Amino acid sequence: MHILVVDDDSLACEMTAAVVESVGHQTLLAENAIEAMEKLDAAPDIALVISDMNMPLVSGIEFFRELRSQGLTLPFILLTGDNPDGLLQQEPALDGCMIKDFSMEETLPRMIAEVMARYPR
Amino acid sequence: MALDIKKFQARFVEEARDHVTRLGAGLDALERDASDRENINTLFRSAHTIKGSSRMLKLIPITDTAHQLEEVLGALREGSLTYTSEVGRLLYRGVDGLSALVQRLAEGGELPAADAALCNALALAAKAESVPIAVAPTSPPESGAEQEISSPKTVAPAPSPLPLSATELKLKASDTVRVKMNKLDELIKLMGEVISSHARSHQRLLDIREIERMDFKAADAAETDKIPLKTHLHRFALTLRDDVLAQELLMNELHSKALIMRMLPLSIVFDPVGRMVRELADSIGKDVECIVSGSDIELDRQLIDKLSDPVLHLLRNAVDHGIETPAARQAAGKFERGRITLTARQDGGWVVIEIADNGGGIPIETIREKALRKGFIAEEKAEALSEQEIIDLIFLPGFSTSPIITDISGRGVGMDVVKRCIVDDLQGTISVETRPGAGTAFALRLPLSLALMRVLLVEVGGIAFGFSAQYVAELLRVQQSEILNVAERRAVIIRNEFVTVMALEDMLRIPPQHIRSSPQSYKHKGLLLLVVSVSNEKLALIIDNLLDECDKVIKPLPEHMRHLTLVSGMVTTGKNELVDILHAPALLEMAHHARGETLVHRDIDAGTESAPLRVLVVDDSINTREIEKDVLEAHGYRVTLAEDGLDGLRKAQLGEFDAVLTDVEMPHMDGFTLTERLRREDKYRDKPIIIITSRNKEEDRRRGILVGADAYIVKGDFDQSNLVDILRNLLG
Repeated sequence: MHILVVDDDSLACEMTAAVVESVGHQTLLAENAIEAMEKLDAAPDIALVISDMNMPLVSGIEFFRELRSQGLTLPFILLTGDNPDGLLQQEPALDGCMIKDFSMEETLPRMIAEVMARYPR
Repeated sequence: MALDIKKFQARFVEEARDHVTRLGAGLDALERDASDRENINTLFRSAHTIKGSSRMLKLIPITDTAHQLEEVLGALREGSLTYTSEVGRLLYRGVDGLSALVQRLAEGGELPAADAALCNALALAAKAESVPIAVAPTSPPESGAEQEISSPKTVAPAPSPLPLSATELKLKASDTVRVKMNKLDELIKLMGEVISSHARSHQRLLDIREIERMDFKAADAAETDKIPLKTHLHRFALTLRDDVLAQELLMNELHSKALIMRMLPLSIVFDPVGRMVRELADSIGKDVECIVSGSDIELDRQLIDKLSDPVLHLLRNAVDHGIETPAARQAAGKFERGRITLTARQDGGWVVIEIADNGGGIPIETIREKALRKGFIAEEKAEALSEQEIIDLIFLPGFSTSPIITDISGRGVGMDVVKRCIVDDLQGTISVETRPGAGTAFALRLPLSLALMRVLLVEVGGIAFGFSAQYVAELLRVQQSEILNVAERRAVIIRNEFVTVMALEDMLRIPPQHIRSSPQSYKHKGLLLLVVSVSNEKLALIIDNLLDECDKVIKPLPEHMRHLTLVSGMVTTGKNELVDILHAPALLEMAHHARGETLVHRDIDAGTESAPLRVLVVDDSINTREIEKDVLEAHGYRVTLAEDGLDGLRKAQLGEFDAVLTDVEMPHMDGFTLTERLRREDKYRDKPIIIITSRNKEEDRRRGILVGADAYIVKGDFDQSNLVDILRNLLG
């Protein structure tokens, strides 16, 4: 089982992945929505997508909507550099939405666990 | 499992630096074209990325600053804020503040809190429909605005509580190099080739052993082996030759690939420059923009490391001495904002770095007076010095032109250090061009790498010496009869230029027992001259033989031999001998001294029976001017030099001269025109004008007489008594 991490800032992407890996998950990385789509096609064992909001071309929300419109029901956590409240209002169907900050080390694993619990395998 | 996210900090610093650089470049572009949406987008993204990753690393001051910057850029992007130069300045300050914080982080210091005044100003700018006139520095008189937000103290949180001082402005080159994976792979692949080539050498060893054994066999049982030993050896030699050639190619490739890894882009030196120039200018109430180009050119890191100090010093000088105050600029009818350009371009195996300002130019007269006052030059010499020579005085230790010693520059410890660093440490040259009222440009010429240099090996008195190729202008053979005797020294004419000739053997005082080559052999073929050139000044050295020309690694002298100024390093030859590389600038210096000594004697000889007659010498070649000057001074004339016809005309009009000597072919105005023009002046209607030229054509001679010259001397016939006799006759 893999968790797909999508962020155009490769440093942020790797830091997020490091947090995810620290609690024992395996990760795949993509730097934009298009690459993320390719990864999803190539690796069927992806169980969760964690994507940044603010990316060039396709934003995190647009990426989420694209997945849903293609019938993919994978759990999806949106990360953002800004205040996350507005985004949840914009897209209530998101499984989770949180700010990327130094407390992510604790908050992200907790959110992953919550979201995964909601999706029985 | 504990996760130490801090380990990402080093990477953050590197990437944040890249983003800060991009932001700087983007702001420059924004200033030129504020409507470029793509550019604003890129700027926004950089600020956003810094904000995002710094927040994950809990670098709050950086996050806050980047956030406010992003807000302003966002407002620009959405059009709720229109770009004005005030907004631009505010953004620059934001980026500068960010850059200072990143630098602080890189040095391992505690981050100070974000600059609240700066963040407020940015926040206000982002929210306001119009530009926050009250907060951003708007009015041209800097003082008011500076106290509000633009004081450099608040923008650049410096480790010391003092405001920005010149000593803190040090560029940091990182002590690691990022090497592209494919470059490393290529190197490793080549190493594989080297290993297999070594295996072939082993095979050759086996081969020759085999031949050795065959030899015995042939001696024992004669005629059993049909192929004679000689053929075996010949075959062996052929294969060995192929191997050696292949190995040579491989080695060359390996060497150049390895060298490339040491190359770093000039951006390491150039990128922080814009910010520093702005901060410096602000701190002394000047308005300066800095335009940088060519920062992608790569140089050996050894050069990059040493380059930042001289470049910084020259920039500081440009801000401090070069650019005038806004008021002075306005009075002179210039834009209030001064401009400093820092450019780099590649020129063959060289990189030329130019630091130019559009300020007031170097004040020649001030320097002349100061040099006199400080005793750098004697009074009677001061008048005769050309502009170029005056400018060269600034490179003397202890020379400073700023009337007050300032923090930034003008401490008089700079320019000599700059010159020493460029010329001695980096094997480069430095030259200055200045125009009154229009600005000054310093050009640094540097080799791409110090590791491998083209070297010319020559022989003198049976000893081999090397010259690094950057100083070698040409090599030529002349007949003994072509050497002229001028002012107690020898000279030769090379393409319309007098060049001093000296025997290298005498200069180096090589003891006679070393001399093995028969003097007869070279008397027969003429003299072999090696012409060395250091920033336009030439010296022809008599040598015995040219041995080789090759690329060599120049090794520095060991510590205990560093005081030998004539030798800049050593190379090893194929025969494993050490050869000294002679330092051409030191040889030129030596030639100057030799000249100076003889001159002092002559001056005493000539005495001062009456007021000396004044002669204007006009020639575009510095070497020719110098020699003519020496000849004339040695005979008691007082000489003023001019660099071309126009310069000559100007000097002639301003001064009083008893005679004019001029070359024919010169830029701006030739000698014929100069003569013609001078004849029209009352002052020079009856003064002797002598044309000295290498053109020995009858029509030129006639033209010379036609325009009114009194004499026409062809350089080939030139000897000092000839010139002096003619002058004496004409002056009566």
